[in-house]
Amino acid sequence: MTDQPVTERSVPARRAAPGGGAGAGRFGGFLRRNLDVTGLCALLVILLAVYSQYDSELFTPSSITILSAQFLPLILAAMGQSTVMLAGGIDLSLGAVLALAMAVFAVRAEDGVAVAAVLALAAAVSTGVANGVLVAYAGLPPIIVTLAASFLWGGVTLVVLPQPGGSVPSGLVDAYNNGWNGLALPFVVVGVVLLLWKTVRTTRFGLSLYAVGGNEHGAYASGIGTRTVKIGAYGLAGVFVGLAGIGLAIQTGSGDATIGTPYTLNSIAASVLAGVSFFGGVGQMRATVLAALLIGLLTNLLLFTGLSPFYQLIMQGAVLIVAIAVKTFATRERTD
Amino acid sequence: MIGRFTRAVVTVTALGTLAATAACGVDSGDSSGDGDGTSGAKSKALKVGWSTIYLTPSWMQQTDKMIKDDVAKLKGEGKIADYKVFNANGDTSQQIAQIRAMIQQKYDVILVDAGSSTALNPVVEQAANAGITVVNFDSLVTSEKVVRVGTDQKEWGRMMGQWLGDKLGGKGKIIAFNGPAGVAVSEERWQGAEEALKKYPGIKIAANVHSEYNLAPAAQAFASAYSANPDIDGVFSQGGALSAAALQTLVKQKKKLVPITGENYNGFLKLWQQHGKDGFSSLSTAQPNYLGVIALRAAVAKAGGASVPNQIMVPLPKITDENLTQYVKPDQPDDSYPIQELPQPEIDKLIGK
Repeated sequence: MTDQPVTERSVPARRAAPGGGAGAGRFGGFLRRNLDVTGLCALLVILLAVYSQYDSELFTPSSITILSAQFLPLILAAMGQSTVMLAGGIDLSLGAVLALAMAVFAVRAEDGVAVAAVLALAAAVSTGVANGVLVAYAGLPPIIVTLAASFLWGGVTLVVLPQPGGSVPSGLVDAYNNGWNGLALPFVVVGVVLLLWKTVRTTRFGLSLYAVGGNEHGAYASGIGTRTVKIGAYGLAGVFVGLAGIGLAIQTGSGDATIGTPYTLNSIAASVLAGVSFFGGVGQMRATVLAALLIGLLTNLLLFTGLSPFYQLIMQGAVLIVAIAVKTFATRERTD
Repeated sequence: MIGRFTRAVVTVTALGTLAATAACGVDSGDSSGDGDGTSGAKSKALKVGWSTIYLTPSWMQQTDKMIKDDVAKLKGEGKIADYKVFNANGDTSQQIAQIRAMIQQKYDVILVDAGSSTALNPVVEQAANAGITVVNFDSLVTSEKVVRVGTDQKEWGRMMGQWLGDKLGGKGKIIAFNGPAGVAVSEERWQGAEEALKKYPGIKIAANVHSEYNLAPAAQAFASAYSANPDIDGVFSQGGALSAAALQTLVKQKKKLVPITGENYNGFLKLWQQHGKDGFSSLSTAQPNYLGVIALRAAVAKAGGASVPNQIMVPLPKITDENLTQYVKPDQPDDSYPIQELPQPEIDKLIGK
């Protein structure tokens, strides 16, 4: 939680005046700079409190393992989507690429998990780079490129795995879902990936990512290779999405070409809820992780409430709309 | 300042919404009652849940209604205490979460209509290991650790392929009209059909078209395949909405009504009846809605200590030119699946009573 203001926005032109409310104090300033994260944390605390009413074993190690195993693919997918959105893009092919990575991993896992993971990641990264090249060099709108790519990679996935199948060593499936020597592996993965992001953020590429997303012309004028940065962003998103696909394959012990689709919209919902701007340059990865966790917990909680299925959908939509409305109002004030 | 005020108001509303959700839930949660928690007594009324990948298609609605009617009967007999439906809305990951939640809530019986034939295996096995009676029906998982109630999808394709091959006298051009690519049911029906059609080397597959099992996309998919191959002699179709789309296209374009295989989708059955006198002929089958009822009965029997076969194959009904009138329901909407109920003795026989 030690954050310089630069994390918020690295493009000076768009940075909010530091002393917005006169004499608000250091804590107030911290809150304002971390509105998304604190807001999401507050929501998360409420959600967890309610959740523990239904599931008294919520805070036991086994519950934490099970839940983190379940939420990991969405968290990683949302991180991938956020990376692209930070650079001012959007990725509608995310679900298809996730399924592709899942299929590649499930088909090859029997011959060696490490090789399969490398192949799956390579597949996901190359799809990302391909998207990035089309966006950066052909100058096509990301929404069109990635929509087309979603069909393309959906087809490739079906070639790799025409019907649900493949298999993942059962020891790995068990370790992932039920813990490995009492260690919640998915939890560790989230920590490692966040650390990776933290490192990337501080590099020249990481700073450029925010700059290009915030003000592409400004970034170009100040000597940033905007094309390379965009391609890098899509490629990095590929890493996250590839990991999500591998996670889903391990969670389910198999591959399924049709399972990825809902992740496209869910990852966008998580990113938007986290306060990542559709116009790029604004947003924090920590918030994305929290938002994905919130969405996962919320849908789970609704299952416990015993509401009828259709009302659950209504509630889910309502909560998302309200939460995103909060975000919109908050950013509207900031950009005034 | 106004902005900040608005923000505060909206935040409060958001929290309120959440709190309200929670509050509603607490009420209904209490009313369901967890019982005494002792699972020793075999005669105790069961807590039953159905996790389904979809609930909105009319086939699912009909199944839902059939199961609910049967649940009401079983509640009257004191065998079921509580019944809830969980809808994953097409999201398999969500369905995994549902089944996990049901394990944590200590359901006695979990019925599953699966969104993936492989991805649910770990979670249904986890439920079975936790001592829960898991019965899977309609769309099946590959795990052999749970009771599965279904029809033989390969046999479905084989039956249709065989009929079409005979009908065309072993030669001609056909369009294969299949369900979505990558979906187990669709692939299996087509595998069966290919097997049967292999016996007729004179039959050529001019086009292999995939479509969702919905009228609108099916009509588009068929129209483009048909315009490229207007000289076909028959259509192998593996779903009712697909068959209806194909027959509609032929009727609209006033073309020869070649044989089309089908399913008990009422829209197709009505068209079939209308155009039977013009020489249209078909063989249809059905994924019977009573699969859900058989699954429920099997689950209740198993939870009560009876031994139930692990795999229950329900025979596919045959709808022919001759018995069509027993199935078609001219007064009902197109989007329904008329089926004759399976008599209780037949169900008992299937579940090994």
